[in-house]
Amino acid sequence: MLKRQEWLDLARKLDWTYSYVQEQDVFPEAMSGRPWLEHAAWQAWDEPYRTTFAEYVTGQHEKEGAIAAVRDAVGKVADFGRHDRGWLSALKLHGATLPLAEFAAVVGNLRAARFGRDSAWRTTAAFGALDELRHTQIPLAILHELVGWDPQFDWTHRLFHTNEWVAVAARHFVDELLLGANPIEFAIATNFVFETGFTNLQFVGLSAVAHDVGDRMFEKMVQSIQTDEARHAQIGGPVLRTLVEHDKAYAQYLVDKWFWRSWLFFAVVTGFAMDYLTPLKERKQSFREFVNEWIIEQFERMIHEYGLARPWYWAEFVKSTGYYHHLVYASAYTYRATVWFDFVLPGPEERAWLAEKYPESWPELDPVWTRLSERWQASGPGVEWFTHGVTPVGFCSLCQLVLCGGTPAENSARVVERDGRRFIFCSDPCAWIFEREPERYAKHLTIVERILAGEAPANLIELVRDYFGLTEATWGKDARGGRYPFLVNSPGGTAE
Amino acid sequence: MTRDELVPLYGFVQGDTLGLLVLVRTTDTVAQLAAVLQEAATMRIAPSADVFVRHRHARLDPTLTVAAAGLTALDRVELVREANA
Repeated sequence: MLKRQEWLDLARKLDWTYSYVQEQDVFPEAMSGRPWLEHAAWQAWDEPYRTTFAEYVTGQHEKEGAIAAVRDAVGKVADFGRHDRGWLSALKLHGATLPLAEFAAVVGNLRAARFGRDSAWRTTAAFGALDELRHTQIPLAILHELVGWDPQFDWTHRLFHTNEWVAVAARHFVDELLLGANPIEFAIATNFVFETGFTNLQFVGLSAVAHDVGDRMFEKMVQSIQTDEARHAQIGGPVLRTLVEHDKAYAQYLVDKWFWRSWLFFAVVTGFAMDYLTPLKERKQSFREFVNEWIIEQFERMIHEYGLARPWYWAEFVKSTGYYHHLVYASAYTYRATVWFDFVLPGPEERAWLAEKYPESWPELDPVWTRLSERWQASGPGVEWFTHGVTPVGFCSLCQLVLCGGTPAENSARVVERDGRRFIFCSDPCAWIFEREPERYAKHLTIVERILAGEAPANLIELVRDYFGLTEATWGKDARGGRYPFLVNSPGGTAE
Repeated sequence: MTRDELVPLYGFVQGDTLGLLVLVRTTDTVAQLAAVLQEAATMRIAPSADVFVRHRHARLDPTLTVAAAGLTALDRVELVREANA
């Protein structure tokens, strides 16, 4: 009987020499991506895991068993009910943005499993598709148990099927990243930038936070997902190496574009969790410390190894690590009824911690929380509307997220006129991405444009109920209804 | 004579955390636009008497109407504190 190493390459590197058709007909550029190169350019493609199908099935079976065991032990309503309300909001945020995005990644991987340019690449992508299907099912299965207990968890499955503004932004990102990308762009955007650069490490950080919080179920879930991500993320590197060799400018463009787009989403989802929704006593590092240690250092090293430069907007990106997620969180706090999870009002201890972690930016951000605390004190507990905005907000024509670029002193949004239409961009990188491929983005309407076109209601309550699909039971609120001990001793204190 | 029409503008209040979409009329004054912007951001930013509206790096005369100031749909305007001018 042949040993593993004797048959593995034969099975993984099963590329045909075509005799009845041309290679370009089997792998047309429209489906396989550009630059179109003959197979010889791709045949050195390899990755370190070199998993066989039998090994894949055995390994995944063991992981499923481990998840099921933890779920049986600590995955019930009573277990989740013990968690801090802020942490539950972090679960709702991650829970809703994760599974159906992973389902879209099944499609991207399957396209690569057919149109990837080397058979080993296609094999790894086929495993990747199975991985992503698993990443869809695990959070849906675990969090479905909680729907009857807390209807906001229904948004784990519901979010991507709505026109809620985060969903609109998420689909804009995910449709291009995962559903529409050809295998070359998918490998650079998803496998190299998004997974290797962000989510693989994000899951390491998140599982550590979940451990500190005492949430063994979430910890186990993201650990299990991370082990899959670490494997299929390996698709990106060898594709990028060939791309750099044949079209370095295009490689640099894809890295620059997808690093910025990934950053914005990552900052919102993980920045909220690490700096606001995780209880203070459980926080080991700030979001920016995590980004510096886990994202920036390794990403700079990686792109250098591939002969690429840092994205042209690097200084703007580094500065945004001290501002962007803070600006979005404060904005979203004051529009919390437009999302499906609750928000925590940072008190004096949290704000002191944030001031220590963000010494250059927090002095500009803290007055907003002073103002909000004063408004809670004036209104008393339970009066959500007194700290809630009613004026419609602007959304970026590229990322579809709220206009929170730059700093409180100088918001970086800018209006651009094109073909008689006005677009607004939250940042220079978003404007740059749009201008490189306007035909890809121009027809997409922001929420504001939908309101002005009469497609969506301008009245906030109607917008939230009828267009976003939220109800009083599911829309976001202050996690404690304004009942905070730190407001007690202040004039008009609100704690009961 | 200017027709009285609604004009949606992207408004940015200095010190605030995001951009807003405010609706004013072409016949409203720039001072009224400033008041609309302050009200729209009031839960995050305390209103101030010492502010002015800026458009394309130029300070707008508060007595001008929105139309006379040259503001059109989806322009970007900023509400700036005098102290930071």
